[in-house]
Amino acid sequence: MKMKTWMTTLGMPALCGLVLFAGCGGKKEETAEQPAAAPAAAPAPTPIDPATAATVSGTVKFDGPAPAATKIDMSQDPACKGTNTAEAVVASGGHLANVFVYVKDGLGNRTFEIPKEAATLDQSGCKYHPHVMGVMAGQDVKIVNSDPTTHNIHPTPKDNREWNESQPPQSAPLDKNFAREEILLPVKCNQHPWMKMYINVVKNPFYAVTGPDGKFEIKGLPPGEYTLAFVHEKLGEKDEKVILAAKDNKTVDETFKP
Amino acid sequence: MPEKPIPEKDPIVTKSLAPHYVVSMVILMATLFWALWDEDFGQRPWKTFQHEWKSRYSAFLKTARTESAESQKEVENSPDYQKLKEDYEAASKDAEPRINELREKLREVGAKILAVQDGPGHFTDRRAYVTAATYDIETTSSPSSKQSKQRDLEAYKAKPSTVEMPDGKAQTFKNFDELEEAYNEFKNERTQLSTELGEMLKPVTEKKELMDSYLTDHMVSLTASQLLNLQNSVESLTPAIRQINVNEHAANLEREDSAQIVDRCESCHLGIREPVNITAAAMSLPGKKPDEYAQAFTSHPSPDLLKIHDPEKFGCSPCHQGNGRATTSVEKAHGTYEHWLWPIFRPENYEAGCQICHSADMVLVSNDVGWVVSEGKDLFRQRGCMGCHRYEGYDKEPEDLLSIGQEIKLLEQEKKDNLKQADDFMAQADKAATNEEANRLNDRAVALKVENSKVDLRIMQLDRTTKSLFQDMKKVGPNLKDVRLKLNKNWIPVWLNKPTDFRPTTKMPNFRLNDEQVKAISAYVWQSGLTDALPKHKPGNAAHGQELFETRGCLACHSIGEGDQIQGGTFAANLTRVGEKANYDYLVRWVHNARERTRPYCPYEKKDIGPEDYQKKGLPFVFDLDHSKCPNDGHELQVQNMTVMPSLRLSETDAEDIASYLITLKKKNPSEYADASFMDDPNLKEEGKRWVRFFGCFGCHEISGLEDEGRIGTELTTEGSKPVERLDFALLTEVAQRGGKEPITDPEDLARLPEGPAKEPWYDHKGFFEHKLAEPNIWDLGKIKPPAEQMRMPNLHLTKEQVRALTTFLLGSQENPLPPSYQYRPLDYRKDIQEGWWVVKKYNCMGCHQLIPGQKTILMGLARYRDAQEQLPPKLLTEGARVDPQWLLGFLKNPALNDKDTNRNGIRTYLQVRMPTFSFSENELGKLVRFFQALSRQPFPYIPEEVPVLTAKETEMARSLFSSTAAPCLKCHATGDPGHDRTATAPNFLQARGRLKPDWMEQWMLDPQAISPGTSMPSGLFKRQNNHWVFSGPTPPSFQGYDKDHTRLLVDYILQLTPEEQRRVAASMGRASARSSSGSRAGSASGQGGHGAGK
Repeated sequence: MKMKTWMTTLGMPALCGLVLFAGCGGKKEETAEQPAAAPAAAPAPTPIDPATAATVSGTVKFDGPAPAATKIDMSQDPACKGTNTAEAVVASGGHLANVFVYVKDGLGNRTFEIPKEAATLDQSGCKYHPHVMGVMAGQDVKIVNSDPTTHNIHPTPKDNREWNESQPPQSAPLDKNFAREEILLPVKCNQHPWMKMYINVVKNPFYAVTGPDGKFEIKGLPPGEYTLAFVHEKLGEKDEKVILAAKDNKTVDETFKP
Repeated sequence: MPEKPIPEKDPIVTKSLAPHYVVSMVILMATLFWALWDEDFGQRPWKTFQHEWKSRYSAFLKTARTESAESQKEVENSPDYQKLKEDYEAASKDAEPRINELREKLREVGAKILAVQDGPGHFTDRRAYVTAATYDIETTSSPSSKQSKQRDLEAYKAKPSTVEMPDGKAQTFKNFDELEEAYNEFKNERTQLSTELGEMLKPVTEKKELMDSYLTDHMVSLTASQLLNLQNSVESLTPAIRQINVNEHAANLEREDSAQIVDRCESCHLGIREPVNITAAAMSLPGKKPDEYAQAFTSHPSPDLLKIHDPEKFGCSPCHQGNGRATTSVEKAHGTYEHWLWPIFRPENYEAGCQICHSADMVLVSNDVGWVVSEGKDLFRQRGCMGCHRYEGYDKEPEDLLSIGQEIKLLEQEKKDNLKQADDFMAQADKAATNEEANRLNDRAVALKVENSKVDLRIMQLDRTTKSLFQDMKKVGPNLKDVRLKLNKNWIPVWLNKPTDFRPTTKMPNFRLNDEQVKAISAYVWQSGLTDALPKHKPGNAAHGQELFETRGCLACHSIGEGDQIQGGTFAANLTRVGEKANYDYLVRWVHNARERTRPYCPYEKKDIGPEDYQKKGLPFVFDLDHSKCPNDGHELQVQNMTVMPSLRLSETDAEDIASYLITLKKKNPSEYADASFMDDPNLKEEGKRWVRFFGCFGCHEISGLEDEGRIGTELTTEGSKPVERLDFALLTEVAQRGGKEPITDPEDLARLPEGPAKEPWYDHKGFFEHKLAEPNIWDLGKIKPPAEQMRMPNLHLTKEQVRALTTFLLGSQENPLPPSYQYRPLDYRKDIQEGWWVVKKYNCMGCHQLIPGQKTILMGLARYRDAQEQLPPKLLTEGARVDPQWLLGFLKNPALNDKDTNRNGIRTYLQVRMPTFSFSENELGKLVRFFQALSRQPFPYIPEEVPVLTAKETEMARSLFSSTAAPCLKCHATGDPGHDRTATAPNFLQARGRLKPDWMEQWMLDPQAISPGTSMPSGLFKRQNNHWVFSGPTPPSFQGYDKDHTRLLVDYILQLTPEEQRRVAASMGRASARSSSGSRAGSASGQGGHGAGK
């Protein structure tokens, strides 16, 4: 430090450009400013004006002979009562059920409030109800065992954390949630190999699952241009573009082929 | 003398030198100032770094502090913290009155002590007098004066002392003894009070510590006060060189282990060891891109690595290279100038630094995946580099065999000498003059004979090692002695011409052979092959063969399909066109047992031993691991094919089915290959041999007549520390130095360069290795040479990533600049881990098993298992803690766990995929068992703990857990009942005894997901209650009052389970009627279990 002071005193009268340069070198520290602050916590949900909200609905069809539902033999576990059929492709009268429909693209950077109420997944008759469900990332999933037998719930996700928990009969529901978006996240029971369902974890509340009539409806969308994705566990994914004006009510139909 | 006229223009008068002086002075001054500047800054660029650091880092800390204060507040508001705080406050409040009282008392006593102690005529003063007087008495010699002095002292002691006490009253002590007593009493009182105060304070401080540690544990970064400390120390920083003396304490120039490494890197890289995460972005000036300062100030990207490699001990340059001492410029410090031999490793090759000390490790990190250098090390073996290039640690068996052979020779000589000497002693003893002498000599003879017995046993041990080594010796390529039995003759020249044309993913490199070379080499290989007859096989069921091929696990090593349709592993050959080249009968033998040789090889006689040799000795032509002695001379034979391909214990029919399937895999018919009868031309044989020798084919293949040839390439163990001048860039030296146009023009080879075509000068090790690996004959460019002088190294058709991995590995292949103690050659359990990985990688265990959390096995990637993970081979993450090592040894020897019924798995009978028999040698078996134990940090050898015998009541209780509806164990675990086991996904409990370690079983029941992530076994079967593990489901009343762990009870029960008990329990669970239900289940959907669902 002393050396620098001494140098600066000597340097001043000498009118030497070099010295000035050296002097500058030592002064830089005062000009530095604070580095940019890190981004803040999760942003607040983007508000949607209910007055302009639009609706999109439609029917998903299955173009082809509906495959016969194969009966599942549940004699392995006497506690599994009732009948059960493999529900990979459920189609009746050309309508396709269990298709997950959601807004895949077009919402930009909007964020949405995570629903407080949990989505329920029930196990009864050694079968999952529903077979396909949608939840928002972070939303609670309440898993109930209504059977007189033990199940274990074993999701095998790609991008979320895997777990596998036992749920004896009459035990308390399990509360779980999935933090990251993931479509067709398989859930199975290792004790009843036929038991399988899919949870779809999305970042927005605009999704629906087609019923036995193949119908779906998504409400409350702000006006905009969207990509709707139709996802089926066996038949794959199909995307449709839709432009919604304020208070629009549009129909988007989709057809899957075997 | 006439005066010279004064010239009109006298230069002295008329010309001024002032301008010259001024100019000189200015120059002089300028030089002076330049010198001063250069001294202070020019030569010390690090100073600017330190000034920048000071300002940027303290600004960063200021922001960090505000954020930290906020998150600290959050933590402090959490209920846990509040509870701790309340505890602390309550405790301190409770203790406060007494503490204050004690403090007050202490103060009082302290004052009393002071009063008695200090001042003229008080205790200290008088004690000094007494001590001095006593000393005087002791040293006085005359008894009379001693007595008089004694009297004086007594008189002095008897004098009273008056002390003014703290309360203002005067107190008189009668004599010195009374004063001393009072003083000691006060001191005792003080000690007592202090102890009590300490006791009182202890719980309070403990609570405070709990509170503080909760805070630090729950803060993501440092707390505000910690940050403030950091900031204060940054602000008081004065510019100074920061340096690390590697091995400072042993820094003695004469000592060999002194590293003499001085690293001053931290003079600029100031943030490397800071306790906060510093990114380049955070260190940039606001709104600007990170400049060189910001880049330099970041903290080390893997603080975990620094934790195990303390920079104080290791420095920086031993891992990163560069010139650690240099401080005058960035280029010099990084060693990126022509006078420094080892420039800093570039980011893409950072891991080269690991290799410098970790050359003995095949897998560098046992709990992490994705290490580039590990990949390079593996490639070096898998691609057969070691066939031509010696590298310490690789393919050690031939060298070990040689040294063992020598040792045996020495021992045999020793034996002979001993015998002779013993005879001498005995002869002398017989003629000895006295009995003592005779006995002494006889004793020496006896000692020598005992010694010989030891030598004999040692030789036997070495023979066993030899046998192991023969078993361990593997070649990367197939045995070419079998070509006549195995191959379509006409296919051979086509293959040799360019192997990748036939099979793009093959390990066989392209040798750039010309037509003559192809013809000669194929002729030699063909004519030197064995001509024995193969047993004929009937054609099998190809469809069944395909199913077996796809389910037994062949795809963990082999692949099938071409282009983006490829499925399976890269460890072994792609079989898409195997039908074009292979002979069916040979394929059957190979699939059934790839190790089966046509003839055993005797390394001593250097020939393949045939039936005729056996016949001469009247022996049957039988050779295997149990019959491995040469009939001619008793030496150890090579009785196996030197392939790593194991036996899957398939029945002959299954092998026929698989071979029948494989033979259908072809793009064209074998008959379509052009005739190659030139291969029978005996004139080509000699020339062929010359070329085989030239190209070193025997490095990877077993070839008749060339079994003992040495490696043809350079040793690469320390290739990375070769001075760059000794790497021959040939005619490309100029181009490499100046960074001219990229010399590689072949588009395929160009795509192999990890950094793409060279843009900058590449005259360094990295440039050399990358170019050599991308296009091995690149240094022939521009030269005209006859074929026999051209570069021999074949093109390994590597990918960009593979070139990078191998380059990283080679860059780190250095003579270690550090003392030998820095080499990672541990002697404890870590040595077992180190050695084990070589075996694990050699046999591709990780193609099927997960050994590192997060590691993807080949099978996991197959569509078949995507929805049927329970059909995958088990994960071995805690194998050493799971199984008894003795059991593991037996299992690895024979995974069927049965001598007769071998066409199945021993433990997981329900799996389609098969654990093969690898015929490990004793040596490798030992290494593997120790490896697994070490990996789980288990003691070795293992002494099983005693399992207590359960009482009838305990058995009853345990049974209720075992068969509970809340944990139906037998639903998934196999029972041996074929009807039930069809859907089983877990092993039979009857196999637990002798196999599983009880502690592990307990841990497994508690949290299986934490042992084998993704397992079918669910968690949450037990819960913690009153410090015990209790069953989560309902328990019968008999459990009332039972206060032991339910898990332990169940473990003990399982370890005592008998087949009858298991049958009874299964029957009571209403699922025993297997015979009746199995028929109906066979065709149903559920009968398929999980597997097959993914089809």
